[in-house]
Amino acid sequence: MVSWEIIHRATSFISEEMGVALRRSALSPNIRERADHSCAIIDANERIVAQAEHIPVHLGSLRVGIKNLLDYLEKEKIELNEGDMIFSNDPYLTGTHLNDVTVISGIYYKGKLIGYTANKAHHVDIGGPVFGSINPQATTIYEEGEIVPPVKLVEKGEIRDDILKMFLANVKSPLTNEGDLKAQIAANLTGIKRVKELIDKYGLDQTIDGWENSIKYGRELALKEISTWPKGEFTAEDYLETGTDLSDLVNINVNVKITENNVTILYPKLIKQLRKPLNAVFGVTFAASSFAIRSLMKGDIPTNEGLYSIINVIADEGSLLNATPPAPVSGGNLETSQRIVDVILLALSKAMPDRIPAASSGTMMNIMLGGYDKNGKPWAYYETIGGGSGARPNGDGVSGVHTNMTNTMNTPIEITESTYPMFFTSYKIREGSGGEGKHRGGDGIVRSFKVLYPARLAVMSSRFLTNPYGLFNGKPGKPSKLTIKRKNGSIEDIKPLSVIELFADDEVIIETPGGGGYG
Amino acid sequence: MGDILVGVDVGGTFTDAIYIDSNGVMKVSKVSTTPAKPEIGIVNALNQIVRGIKIPELLHATTIATNAILGQVKLELPNTALLTTNGFKDIIEIGRQNRPKLYDLFFTKPRPLIPRKFRYEINERVSVNGEIIKDINENEITNIANELIKNNIESVAVSYLHSYINPKNEIKTKEILSRYFKYVTISNEIAPEPREYERTSTTVVNAVLRPIVSRYIDMLSSSLKEFGTEKIYIMSSSGGLVNTIDASERPVQMIESGPAAGAIAAAELSNMLSIKNSIGFDMGGTTAKASAIIDGKLEITTEYEVGGEAHHGRTIKGSGYPVRFPFIDLAEVSAGGGTVIWKDEANALRVGPISVGADPGPASYGKGGDKASITDANLLLGRIGNKLAGGEVSLNVELARKALSNLGDPEEISISALELINLEMARAVRLVTVERGLDPSSFSIIAFGGAGPQHAAMLAEELGSQEVIIPPEPGLFSALGLLMADSRFEARLAFPKDLQDAFDKLEKELVKKVGTLDYFIRLLDVRYQGQGYELTITAPEKLDKESIEKSFATVHYNTYGFTLNRPIEIVMSRVFGIKVRPKPYLGEAKEGIELKEKGFRKAYISKSWDEVPVYERDSLPRGCKIKGPAIIDEYSSTIVIPRGWKGEVGPHRTVILKR
Repeated sequence: MVSWEIIHRATSFISEEMGVALRRSALSPNIRERADHSCAIIDANERIVAQAEHIPVHLGSLRVGIKNLLDYLEKEKIELNEGDMIFSNDPYLTGTHLNDVTVISGIYYKGKLIGYTANKAHHVDIGGPVFGSINPQATTIYEEGEIVPPVKLVEKGEIRDDILKMFLANVKSPLTNEGDLKAQIAANLTGIKRVKELIDKYGLDQTIDGWENSIKYGRELALKEISTWPKGEFTAEDYLETGTDLSDLVNINVNVKITENNVTILYPKLIKQLRKPLNAVFGVTFAASSFAIRSLMKGDIPTNEGLYSIINVIADEGSLLNATPPAPVSGGNLETSQRIVDVILLALSKAMPDRIPAASSGTMMNIMLGGYDKNGKPWAYYETIGGGSGARPNGDGVSGVHTNMTNTMNTPIEITESTYPMFFTSYKIREGSGGEGKHRGGDGIVRSFKVLYPARLAVMSSRFLTNPYGLFNGKPGKPSKLTIKRKNGSIEDIKPLSVIELFADDEVIIETPGGGGYG
Repeated sequence: MGDILVGVDVGGTFTDAIYIDSNGVMKVSKVSTTPAKPEIGIVNALNQIVRGIKIPELLHATTIATNAILGQVKLELPNTALLTTNGFKDIIEIGRQNRPKLYDLFFTKPRPLIPRKFRYEINERVSVNGEIIKDINENEITNIANELIKNNIESVAVSYLHSYINPKNEIKTKEILSRYFKYVTISNEIAPEPREYERTSTTVVNAVLRPIVSRYIDMLSSSLKEFGTEKIYIMSSSGGLVNTIDASERPVQMIESGPAAGAIAAAELSNMLSIKNSIGFDMGGTTAKASAIIDGKLEITTEYEVGGEAHHGRTIKGSGYPVRFPFIDLAEVSAGGGTVIWKDEANALRVGPISVGADPGPASYGKGGDKASITDANLLLGRIGNKLAGGEVSLNVELARKALSNLGDPEEISISALELINLEMARAVRLVTVERGLDPSSFSIIAFGGAGPQHAAMLAEELGSQEVIIPPEPGLFSALGLLMADSRFEARLAFPKDLQDAFDKLEKELVKKVGTLDYFIRLLDVRYQGQGYELTITAPEKLDKESIEKSFATVHYNTYGFTLNRPIEIVMSRVFGIKVRPKPYLGEAKEGIELKEKGFRKAYISKSWDEVPVYERDSLPRGCKIKGPAIIDEYSSTIVIPRGWKGEVGPHRTVILKR
């Protein structure tokens, strides 16, 4: 009798190994270096048994996505036979934004379906008018990029050339997408092969039993954890800016209910979905909510259905946090998700004051810059900029760092200057931007540069009109600030969700928020 | 007396010394490391094996650099300052702006090695093309130097933007600072390559280490006077020995000194046995390390973080201090003899990552430890005997049973714990192979470290490998590796304009620095234009565009499984100058003696308890075959041969397990 722990570990290592295989053959640095992907083993009952994720938004959104995908296949009577793989990027099904492409395949053992392997990876461009497919001015999803409904990409072990061509015809650098998609296929194949080896070694019944125990184990650990939390309902309110004026601020309210058996996160009084790309699909809302809850748990809890099963998330369909077609959603991932985490942590700070820091910067500060170089060649630069983390009950916050829903690395200045017509004037800590208090919030970042040729700057960001909150009398962190120093000396203050024309030698100075203070 | 070779490997717990003469006579010793003054342990270890003999040359692996950065020993870091381009003093604090832990709201980043008050911004700037936009103002540097003196600064790091392409401003700064300071490190001399954070971090780590390592080398040299030692060579992280001048000027290169020695030993041994692909598998007290030897060569990486934490067997980016210098690529997992077996809150059986450490050690050591460890499980199952290190260490099986009983049925717990730890180690091996698109089942495993030979066959079964090789003295194999390495000196130049010229200059520079060299290895870091990462290739004989493109395409395909139809870009030219050193003769096992077990032990090895024959390694005749299940005891380790495996005494006193 082999102990279930061995099946449990082996399965989670298989999901990791799928990730290694994906990363190895992916083409884009986004996957290779930033690991913007996740891989999972799913049982025949559509439950995630093991998931290897490297980016928080994939925590939970994959669970929503897999369930939706398999329901869709059943409804549409699409059979996922041995040797088949289905892919889709429809955010309303797969759970994040168009850039994230999910590929799923069945694991067949001696002709019987015993589970699935699936993975999700962020494609740098997925079509649409803007390079990178994050369009701050989109009013519908059609202005963001191409939508691929669940279709067979691989049939009986062969890639369907017609489908692949159709997919690639809509993107700006098809070679990259093709490489990344093939890496995703390779990852699923690795998973299938290794699960079959596991069954060969330990037997089918033992494996299935091990998976069952693995999920039970995840649930038990999660329940043990929340058993130490205070029970009751906790509420809070925070704001998201959807434009440039105070009147563009919308409320995000939350009611978090903790019982012995689960945590229910309800978003009351939500506004209707917007004709702006800040809408979150349900997968993102579930991911951000799961992130907040998971972050409050100590110890290492396996990412599987056991953990997910204790988290309920409720948001009205057609609202900002559960958008329906054709609402644009690219920024739901990026900015709205940060505010979801902020508001949940604020609500729970009353219940668990010693476990929750003040607000972190609360924006990913997405900077998209592009134009034509001296040879008339188009170029496009995308960067996110970290900020200050909130002060903790036991110490100061961390300065100059990505927090909560993102963790991507910066592009080195020397690499940026050698690739794009940009000249950096500073990259440093924004001293004094963290909120005062018994413990200080971490400071934000100042990143500034000049453009050498005319260029267009697009900004998707927030925390310009509100500050990252302090806790227990701690002062809030300083808000975002974006200034353009024109060559002629004039200075312009820029607001979030803007698109601005720059001229040669104009300087852009970006200051990200500091974290809130504590006590 | 013929030539003798002597090596000392100072590890976290033990200091190992090894001596081989030209007849293959080998003497070894293992003593406790003396962390605050490692030279004392070295002298102790040497006294056990070479009393009265002169050691003109000592080969050495040391953990001093890592320990200093980790703050593990009471080595106070020297006051160090950093000079940067105006506007960029916080680069070492921001890092790559990522956090090392995803789901920890209380995460921290590594504390910058130089606090903000000792970081100075200089009015200078070089453009991306190497054009000097703003020159150095001598007065500005002099004023800062005076301020540094007031602040008792001992060592200074200088890292300006784009200095890898034009180092003039850095060189000028160094000239001025050198009038006041003994230790000045400029980034162009230590890591001349783009990516300001990694280059600056490397420079800072070097600057911090210089006073410490210089002092250590001085202390060591004077301690070794009693042995008549004139030369000391130190193992670098890339697997070559460097002299003490190079080591004290560029101490960043010694960070993985000990592990590199082990990997080199595995690579040399596989070459001696004509094995093409193998895995160096080193399992000690707290960690297991895997290195891939492909076509007889070790894989080298330049991405490394000192003091970093590992996850999935790889260092988590942002958890330590990046050092851009060639390192042997090792995957490391927390799995060793001292790894703790425990049950978590949900009553699941777990192994690691915590270790019992050297003190109190496993429960069975009887030094007051009550936590069950992998060594205890191996003892309970009879896989290791109750006397280790030639009888110097006694293990108490009842203490092991008591500790394991706290977790459940001691036998069942032990069996499952060994399976779990083997899975964990298989994961590290899979990483170094799967990451390169290779199948680990076609690799031979060269197992060493005190615990390696106990687990190697089980690990091979998990990976599907067919062959395991146990070297002589597996518990001191890293020390032996010191004796098998060549001297190796490194120099590099970023964005070379004329390749031939660049290589010639680098090679001349090396010869000028270290004297005659036997041969050079020319390497290039190449990428497709627009790619954010480079691959290292061996420079082709003909340095024309076509040949380089062809070599790069082959390496790119082997590494990533595809090539692109895009122009390439050479980011770096690098030269290793090699001075070949005499190789030790490992001797051969005796022939013609009778194979005889020294006794039998009840052991659980292959899914059942059996009376298993136990052999003494030194008594095994060459060519003898031993059928599993069986056990071979020796001074520094224990070899476990499961059922279905056959052990054979092979050339160079190896034991080769096959199935």
